[in-house]
Amino acid sequence: MRSLYVRSFGSKLIWGLVSSFVIVVCVGLTAQTEETRMEIQTKNWEGRGIENGAVIFANNCATCHGQQGQGLQGVAPALNSRYFFTRRLGDVGQDGVMTLSNYVYLTVAAGRPSKDNSQWANRMVPWSSQFGGPLRGDQVVDVVAYVMNFEETALQQTASEDPFQPFLDVAKPPEFQNIGISADAEWTPVQLAVTSVLPMGDRDPDYLFGALACSGCHKLDEPQAPSSMGESGPNFGTIHELGTYRPEAAADPAAYLKESIVSPDAFRVEGYDDAMPDDFASRMTEEEIDRLVQWLLDPNRVIHTRDAEGNIIDE
Amino acid sequence: MSVQSPAPQKKPWFLALLSSLDGIFVYLTAGISTREFRAMLRGDAPGRPNTRLTPHADAFLLHIKPSYYHESVTRFTHTYRLGLLSTYLFLFETITGIILMIWYAPTPERAYVDMIRLLNNVPFGQLMRDLHRIGAELMVGIVTLHMVRTYLTGSYKPPREFTWLTGVLLLVITLFLSFSGYLLPWDQLAFWAVTIGTSMAEAVPPVFVGEIINLLARGAPDIGASGLLRFYLLHVLFLPLLLILFFFVHYYKVVLYGISLPAQEEEVGEDTANRVPANRRVYYLPEVLLDEGTFLLAVTAIITAVTVFLFQAPLEHIANPQQTPFHTVAPWYFYWLQGLLKIADKMWAGVIIPGVLLVMLMAIPYLDRNPSRRGADRRVATISGIVAGVLMIILSWMGTPAYAVQGAPALEVVEKLMPEEKVGISRKIGYKHIPLGTYDTRELITTDDAEFAKLLDEFVHLLEVWEEKAPDFNDPWGLLTVTQDQANLKLLRWEITWISNAGTEEYFKQDYWLHKDSYYWEQYGRKKFGVPEFLEMQNGG
Ligand code: HEM
Repeated sequence: MRSLYVRSFGSKLIWGLVSSFVIVVCVGLTAQTEETRMEIQTKNWEGRGIENGAVIFANNCATCHGQQGQGLQGVAPALNSRYFFTRRLGDVGQDGVMTLSNYVYLTVAAGRPSKDNSQWANRMVPWSSQFGGPLRGDQVVDVVAYVMNFEETALQQTASEDPFQPFLDVAKPPEFQNIGISADAEWTPVQLAVTSVLPMGDRDPDYLFGALACSGCHKLDEPQAPSSMGESGPNFGTIHELGTYRPEAAADPAAYLKESIVSPDAFRVEGYDDAMPDDFASRMTEEEIDRLVQWLLDPNRVIHTRDAEGNIIDE
Repeated sequence: MSVQSPAPQKKPWFLALLSSLDGIFVYLTAGISTREFRAMLRGDAPGRPNTRLTPHADAFLLHIKPSYYHESVTRFTHTYRLGLLSTYLFLFETITGIILMIWYAPTPERAYVDMIRLLNNVPFGQLMRDLHRIGAELMVGIVTLHMVRTYLTGSYKPPREFTWLTGVLLLVITLFLSFSGYLLPWDQLAFWAVTIGTSMAEAVPPVFVGEIINLLARGAPDIGASGLLRFYLLHVLFLPLLLILFFFVHYYKVVLYGISLPAQEEEVGEDTANRVPANRRVYYLPEVLLDEGTFLLAVTAIITAVTVFLFQAPLEHIANPQQTPFHTVAPWYFYWLQGLLKIADKMWAGVIIPGVLLVMLMAIPYLDRNPSRRGADRRVATISGIVAGVLMIILSWMGTPAYAVQGAPALEVVEKLMPEEKVGISRKIGYKHIPLGTYDTRELITTDDAEFAKLLDEFVHLLEVWEEKAPDFNDPWGLLTVTQDQANLKLLRWEITWISNAGTEEYFKQDYWLHKDSYYWEQYGRKKFGVPEFLEMQNGG
């Protein structure tokens, strides 16, 4: 009967043994490398999270906080900043209470509820969908990982490299905010004035447009069109044709603009909340405002390159 | 002196022990004594009465199995053990699947993170996931091949029509089982494949029925938390239970009628599978058991080796309902449907044709009235089977992005060099082989890095290829700018400029970030055994 059933017992047993051996070897090899593999996977996913965070940052945060996290004066603070990584937590009284990474997480997820007395043009909105924002939980986690990854470069900054601007929400006045960093005494950040460096009076319009943070919300190089209104504020790329698309401005565009700057509530453009500061009348002279309006309406307006103090360096 | 009655013979203690061990052995084997077992190992013929049949009567699991087979059907080349293998793979999937369930919660917040946790923190977690994945893909393939074998041997003919019909149901359940598992990692691959899949259900007429089916499957107009939970329950509970039910119906019929003999061994129209002459019986114990056991062990060895050295389960970016991937693809076993969708509308491709095919498949035993199972008598059946198979392959090919899908040329170029998902050339050479700088395809670029030079050559080459291939893509040139965005993070900015037919200059830009430590799922496999290689990758750059 066995002869009917061709194969021999012996060969089958050998097959079974060889197979078992292969399984044991494979699992053994895996076991041997598991520790390293898990370590590498962990680093991998941290890295991947930072990659994802970079995309989210570029799409959502960079307009205000800068492509390199350098911040934008009057609009949003620098994140790629030594002050931020070494002092900020202490200045908001959270040292030892939470980690900086949690502080960033909370701020990104829930935003900053109030902008009363804020030095920043816009309020930071909640970004997490949990609080009505546009980002999913995992995206918040990733963008926080990205922000935290500024640490290495931020800690290498010298005094003049730190784009830090004193925070007004800190109990200490600006000139005291960096006291106590004496551990590395050579680091005394340049004190950028909160609003502008040049004295009030005869500042150029292109300077004001940046220094007073108009540029944070109004894009000068993007046209005003039905498909591109501008995200935080109307685009100014075609503002010299203002009369053609804003009926209220048709009669006297200059007057309309001036009125809009001095009291933003005068004309409301549909689709924007009341993000525009209403104190510009006190931060510019009337003459400066007039020149700014003329400059905006000029299709050939010039924008100079300036140094940190506001001096023109491109000529 | 009175005659003393002999003292009761006392067994030496070791013999007593042996006989009680023998008792335990008989108990455990449901009726095989150690002596009989040794006889089996020696290859002796069973005694009379044949105690090797006892387990088939006494043990639950063995009562399902026939006690002997016809010698002809035990030949490997008759069944190729494909039915057995299908059953085994189901068991294999159940075991690996339950292990995976330990670290998995079916919610959008947790699912993907749990996958990462499994890879990061669970010893053998990656292996388990890879095994489960390869087993699933294999099971679809093996069940299909099993169907092909029973088709070619005409085993669906009377009295086995119902066996075939339950088989078709098993195939459908297997496909759905695999498909429902596809969503669970909650990555882009999963999310979009399942979005397309369920959207086909929408085409079921009339409109409101389609909508209801879609709604039932997804739990909401779009796949989200409810959809994930539903797919999870289908995958771990409902479909496995259904499969077990139909398997037993199926297998009961298989045992009832016996496995059909090779056609030339019996007269046309006869079925002698159950009348096995005594001299042609091969007993399950021990021959067939040993045979099946070693076969499955060998298969397991192959699966394990392939998984450890070659295979890795994909894991793309987390599911993002807001971002449709560049190419959305169904799982490979539904490529044919995707192919159909490219040439017919949703109603035809998604409902009518698959529906008719399914009904026809189930009806084959009732349509094919030819009583003969011999190849020579079944030319029409064999040829139509082959034609159907070839058609499936062609349709499947049409379902891949290779056929009739073409993105904008600039996008295609970048997608080759640095795709949205997957490694692509750039991530394959990795962070350390991509030096900072600006590289213009119009200039002769010299670089010390041979790998990077290859990447740039490919950039130039792809632009040429697409210039020739695409009508509206003239004089293209590309710019790759690599900057150090953060510590250990490079930004690769791909820019392509070309002239359209209208003579205007067109521009395309794509930014991708690459972290020093990141590697994409296609790279996992090699690294599982080549640890030094990934250590080198970590330290370099
Ligand atoms: C999960 C899926 C399936 C499992 C676990 C399964 C299992 C089995 C097993 C163990 C056998 C006996 C051994 C063999 O013939 O290889 C068998 C026989 C059979 N199966 Fe399946 N099967 C499955 C799917 C199918 C499918 C998709 C079909 C066809 C549409 C099918 C049709 C048949 C037929 C007709 C037989 C009888 C073969 C004969 O008597 O020669 N089965 N199946």
